[in-house]
Amino acid sequence: MRNFSFTLRDRNRSLSLGLLLSLWLGLSGAGFAQTTIKGKVTDGGGNGVPGVTVRLDGTNSGTNTNVDGDYSLSTVAKAGNYKLSFSSIGFANSSQSVAIGAQTTITANATLQDATNNLDEVVVVGGGLKAERRQLGNAINSVSAAQLEKSGTANLVGALQGKVPGAQITQNSGDPAGGMTVRLRGVKSIQGTSDPLYIIDGVIVSNASSNVSQTALGGQINGVNPSTNRLADINPNDIESINVLSGAAAAAQYGSRAANGVVIISTKRGKSGAPKVTVSTSFNTNELRKKVFVSTFGKQFGWAGLRLHTIGNVSAAQIAANPGTTVSRYVRDGSNFDLATNLVDVTRYDYQDNIFRKAQGTDNNVSVSGGTDRTQYFVSASYMKNEGIVKGVDFSRYGVRARVEQRLTNWAKLSAGLNYVNSFSNEKANGNVFYSPINSINITNNIWDINQRDAGGNLLAVEPTRVNPLSTIEDMTFTQSVNRTISDVQLNLTPFKGFSVDWVLGVDATSQLGKNFIKPYPYQAVAGLPLERYPNGFASNATNNTLLFNSDLNIRYERELTQDIKLDLLAGTNYQYQQTDFTRASGENLAPFIETVSGAASTTVTAGYGLSRFVVSGIFGQATVGYKNMLFLTGALRRDGSSIFSPEQTNQTYPKVSASFIASDLGFWKNSGLANTVNSAKLRFSYGQAGNLTGLGVYDRFWQFSPSPFLGRSTILPGGQLANPAVRPERMTETEGGVDLAFLKNKVTLGVSVYNQQISDLVVNRTLAPSSGGSSIVNNVGSMENKGFEVALGLTPLKTKDLTWDLTLIYNQNRNKITSIGGTTATIGLPTPAGAPVFLIPGQSASIFYEFPYARNPDGSLLLTTQGLPQRERGVQNTTDPTQFTPQRAADGQPSGAFISTVIGNPNPKWTGSLMSNLSYKNLSFNFLLDAVQGVNVFNADKRTRNNVGIGNIAEEELRGTAPRGSVLALVPISEYRVDDGSFVKLREIGLSYSIPKPIKGIDNARLSVVGRNLFSWDKYNGYDPETNAGGNSDVLRGIDFGNVPIPRTYQVQLTLSF
Amino acid sequence: MKNKFFRILLTAIPLWGAGGFFSSCSTDQVYVNPSSASEPQVVGDVNGLIALCNGLQARFTVSRASPGYAYPTTSGLVAGELNVLNAGNADEDALRQGANNVTNANSLVRNIWTQSNLVKATADLILKNANVATDPATRAPIVAYAAIYRALALGTMAQFWEKVTIKTEENATFSSREDALKEAVATLETAAAGLTAAPSSVFTGRIVPGLDLANTLQALIARYALMLGDNDKALAAAAKVDLTKRSFWSFDDTSRNPLFESLFSNRNVAEPNPNFGLPMALAPAATDRRTAFYYTTATATVNAGFASFYRANNTPVPVYLPSEMLLIRAEAFARKNDLAGAVGELNKVLTKTTDAWGIGAALPAYSGASTAQAVLTEIYRNRCIELFMSGMKLEDSRRFGRPAAGTTGAERSRNWMPYPNTERQNNPANTPADPAI
Repeated sequence: MRNFSFTLRDRNRSLSLGLLLSLWLGLSGAGFAQTTIKGKVTDGGGNGVPGVTVRLDGTNSGTNTNVDGDYSLSTVAKAGNYKLSFSSIGFANSSQSVAIGAQTTITANATLQDATNNLDEVVVVGGGLKAERRQLGNAINSVSAAQLEKSGTANLVGALQGKVPGAQITQNSGDPAGGMTVRLRGVKSIQGTSDPLYIIDGVIVSNASSNVSQTALGGQINGVNPSTNRLADINPNDIESINVLSGAAAAAQYGSRAANGVVIISTKRGKSGAPKVTVSTSFNTNELRKKVFVSTFGKQFGWAGLRLHTIGNVSAAQIAANPGTTVSRYVRDGSNFDLATNLVDVTRYDYQDNIFRKAQGTDNNVSVSGGTDRTQYFVSASYMKNEGIVKGVDFSRYGVRARVEQRLTNWAKLSAGLNYVNSFSNEKANGNVFYSPINSINITNNIWDINQRDAGGNLLAVEPTRVNPLSTIEDMTFTQSVNRTISDVQLNLTPFKGFSVDWVLGVDATSQLGKNFIKPYPYQAVAGLPLERYPNGFASNATNNTLLFNSDLNIRYERELTQDIKLDLLAGTNYQYQQTDFTRASGENLAPFIETVSGAASTTVTAGYGLSRFVVSGIFGQATVGYKNMLFLTGALRRDGSSIFSPEQTNQTYPKVSASFIASDLGFWKNSGLANTVNSAKLRFSYGQAGNLTGLGVYDRFWQFSPSPFLGRSTILPGGQLANPAVRPERMTETEGGVDLAFLKNKVTLGVSVYNQQISDLVVNRTLAPSSGGSSIVNNVGSMENKGFEVALGLTPLKTKDLTWDLTLIYNQNRNKITSIGGTTATIGLPTPAGAPVFLIPGQSASIFYEFPYARNPDGSLLLTTQGLPQRERGVQNTTDPTQFTPQRAADGQPSGAFISTVIGNPNPKWTGSLMSNLSYKNLSFNFLLDAVQGVNVFNADKRTRNNVGIGNIAEEELRGTAPRGSVLALVPISEYRVDDGSFVKLREIGLSYSIPKPIKGIDNARLSVVGRNLFSWDKYNGYDPETNAGGNSDVLRGIDFGNVPIPRTYQVQLTLSF
Repeated sequence: MKNKFFRILLTAIPLWGAGGFFSSCSTDQVYVNPSSASEPQVVGDVNGLIALCNGLQARFTVSRASPGYAYPTTSGLVAGELNVLNAGNADEDALRQGANNVTNANSLVRNIWTQSNLVKATADLILKNANVATDPATRAPIVAYAAIYRALALGTMAQFWEKVTIKTEENATFSSREDALKEAVATLETAAAGLTAAPSSVFTGRIVPGLDLANTLQALIARYALMLGDNDKALAAAAKVDLTKRSFWSFDDTSRNPLFESLFSNRNVAEPNPNFGLPMALAPAATDRRTAFYYTTATATVNAGFASFYRANNTPVPVYLPSEMLLIRAEAFARKNDLAGAVGELNKVLTKTTDAWGIGAALPAYSGASTAQAVLTEIYRNRCIELFMSGMKLEDSRRFGRPAAGTTGAERSRNWMPYPNTERQNNPANTPADPAI
């Protein structure tokens, strides 16, 4: 046997390596006799298992079982003893020896053990790469198709909520096309994204949120990312399994792109046999789970026309003009406010009734799969439409998918996947502006009958400068239509013994078209809307074309060096190119009847074009040594580069080592009574580094001199953001350790992972002293860490022939801390919506809320003003630690000195967790999922808005005299008042389903399910829903509630038939 | 053999293919932004320099983040010209309340500081590279344009802070505001000396319309010399300004008049106080026609400030008013105790019925006491009326010794601004202590 080894030095070497290999391969393969091995592979229940890979080890012969579990494998191996191995995802590997001799046919049947989360389970760890759990030195978590089906949502990311250890999955908006954010083990980057890498069948897919349908928002929504994240295009029904690699060190094959974790999605594929047809259809209703308090108490301070009647200062002229008005003087922070104290009668309305509706949805899928021994196919079509609970909002998606696998020879397989998706959403303005449905309610005094119309049917004005809430429903149209194809071609070769080559080419091409239209307000002359609300109309079109291309090559060589020692060598290259073209044209002052930018006044039209391109590539080598299939040591080295960084800085090397030890396979363990209690025990450890090669804007290393449309003459402004051309990729070093235990014959399983991520060279858009000639610079000045642990406990309290009860308990805890943001910078305030005071401060978690706290007595009670009202704390701010201060009191005991700031809230939860239960009796099954996010704060901007406007709960208490007059006024500048406890436990999923095998002739199986989603929430939040984020998919703005659409309660009925 | 060949071929495909991608990919590839340019490109080209001149004006005048908004608004809120209509505009409201309410994080204060410093930095860049323009008829107006904005940046900062950074550099040192004003005047004088011929068509064809360079240079020399107490220089420079000429910032529907856009087009943020925010003793005469020029009758939806230079997106805003020159001369004479000269200039303002901008008080000549104090008070009153919302109010209130912040009958809520956190935290060694109020 020739020895085979190589080193990785440079890319030229890899090319010549390929050539050498090709030549060398040509020399192998002498003549052999033909033998056929056949048999049937069954599961524990005696049913045939389709799609099992059957391989004759030591040769390059392999095949798959057909739909009945039968296989037939032809080989030309020399006579001798061989190992015949069977593997299938979700089952433990199995092998048996076969003796090939003179006979032409050998029969070998096998039984595979169901092995979810079992050590011998085979899991996908990368494009085309699979491994047994036992040899992995890091945590990997799987979610199956069955778990997705019961979620009651057509959003793939939503369906994962509560099911992945280490993941915090937040639905940012209740709109059916609203964004979802996934954080694996906390915030990873400030300047870059913390979104994990998503791979579908080896294709790197975009989960970007490119705004084409909310262009009117312009600069009004500081730092917010309002759009749908594009995983919304993926149909959960097409998914077979999802594997989540949380750690940066987990996947050498994805390396740098995996710094935020990897979500590996495998779609359904065909099994050989007669065509199998599956049809499913569902119907759902969505409704508002909880209304917020809006006062309908028929009183108002002052007079009906007094705006902000709870806090508005009333002038002498106003008193004179409105007889009967009485005022009292209130002092806040040294300023006088004359507040009206008399009450007048008004009629108040609850506009929520005009905005929300009970909505419907449907999701329909049909798939056909089947094939022969050599060819398998899976074809599906789907149509989904889901309405939002805000009138006029919906999301629809249809798609077709095909996946074909062709065995070219017994050592070569070619497969291809094609998925076309068309998504369309009807949207309303994003919550962060006051012409959004929810915020138009929050910001308008509700004394106007908004249903009144003029003779022409036009809506009438409400409070001056405010938008009639019905205008947001009737006269604004924001749509987004998406065409997307995700395609892949894969070649899997096992050209000679122990050697395999896998190549994946993937393309994800997306085009988005957004249309935006705000009709000129018929009542502008009366309402006097500010220009930022587009009083004379707005229209805009935007397109965004995104292309992601990837080529991933893995070369693998496995060899048993001795009977006990197995060597597994892996090497490969990755290449990714990504390009985004964005074009926009917008205008105002629309001609009557015209709904597009073509009707805009010429002087108002602006246009823009943006192009973003980059290449990321890497090369890696990895070696795993296995000892007695019990101890595995892995070492790997990667070299990664990205065009986002300068050629001098880009190529960096990242090492990884990991170990896995199956203690329960030790002889003494197996032979002792311990094995009866703890039937499997695995210890794992990994250490690795990864660079964040996309953690920088594509042009952030250049000082941009940007054009600006200005008075018809060419104009260029040097960017306020300066650049360091030599900025380096962030480097994450992660250490992870864990155990996986199974007790009482797998009745109880426990997985624990502890990790420590240290992110050095953190790229920060560091604030500069403006006197230096810039306002900020992007540079490697920071550092950050995530420390935490994850526990997954599985229980099977009941298991009989007919009755099974499974419970899964997940607990995650992560502590994020920024350790430095550069130089002597004490704080970086981020641009935010709603005036949310979001800061980066060394020693604190990312994105904390930092501003004015209440003044308090030493016992913690509020220190009130002489008028008995709460007030801001004052004193002396600590000059070295911006979160510390020394309170100061004047002789009268009242606060004195400067207003101080401190940490008033943290949007990063203390812990998250879930409890999943699945009880099945014969054909009936009942499941529920409780999902908890605890120890988290929400910046509740809406609460203050409602009270300032005079429609909130404290406003009503003032009107009723149960709270002192001036209460709302006093709270206005106290930022801490706006921070609420956002902890919740939600009944995320609950479902009942009944299967009927062979209900009628021609149908193999029918299943009827009733599913409820987000039916209840246990929280103390003073708003719609603490699970929300006005920052949308922003990576650094979290936990802000500002006009957000609440997550609906959903009921769904599903029927699935298979033929 | 065919099979073997096939095997080689098939195995070679992915190796060659992926290897090919990998080696061609070359992360050495530099993708530059086709929608932006680089510093060397821009400053090495005459048209680039003129585009940067336009950029100076765009940064200084357009949007709520610009000094064009923050400078008159901050001055107006602190010195009583403006009232806040909606306390939700927290930073504006803090300026109105003044004292401790104005923190180092106030966005208007920060914007004045940041944008003025950036404008100054860009002006420095233009001045450093002005020789790229070889034609003096192009170079001189480029230098004049950059000089005007360098002076405006320094002068604006000097109206809000006791100490100012003059040089653009890391860990910049702070100079007294007087030194900053002197630097502004020196820059303007150098540019004025160089501006001898008419600007070339290369310049006039590419620069945004509005600024009258020669007159603006002298007007700003007069303004800052007066602030420095250099009365002779102020008198001389003000006399050189052609009062029939208008020099203004232009706006349009996309680069909007910032006070109209953010304040006076609606009644949601702030509104002028009655009587130009003056105390009753200094309230304008009932017949003063300037009230009608600067005010409209407020209704539920029409802002009282929807008038004068803030009536539409594209209403031009004067860089200086010709009558400011008259008032500068009046004040300079008065401070030199030439009361006759002072009253003579003051009367030109009081009695005019219109001017280049259509402003005319149409009042009788000054008939008050012939004391420097009385004449100066009348000049202050007229500055407050004539130059309403021009951003000069806080500076005037201090220079004329009006009741200071924190004192009885205070006419301003702060005397000086605190230094923004962005400067202090990143230039800690040099940033001075904040003023008490």
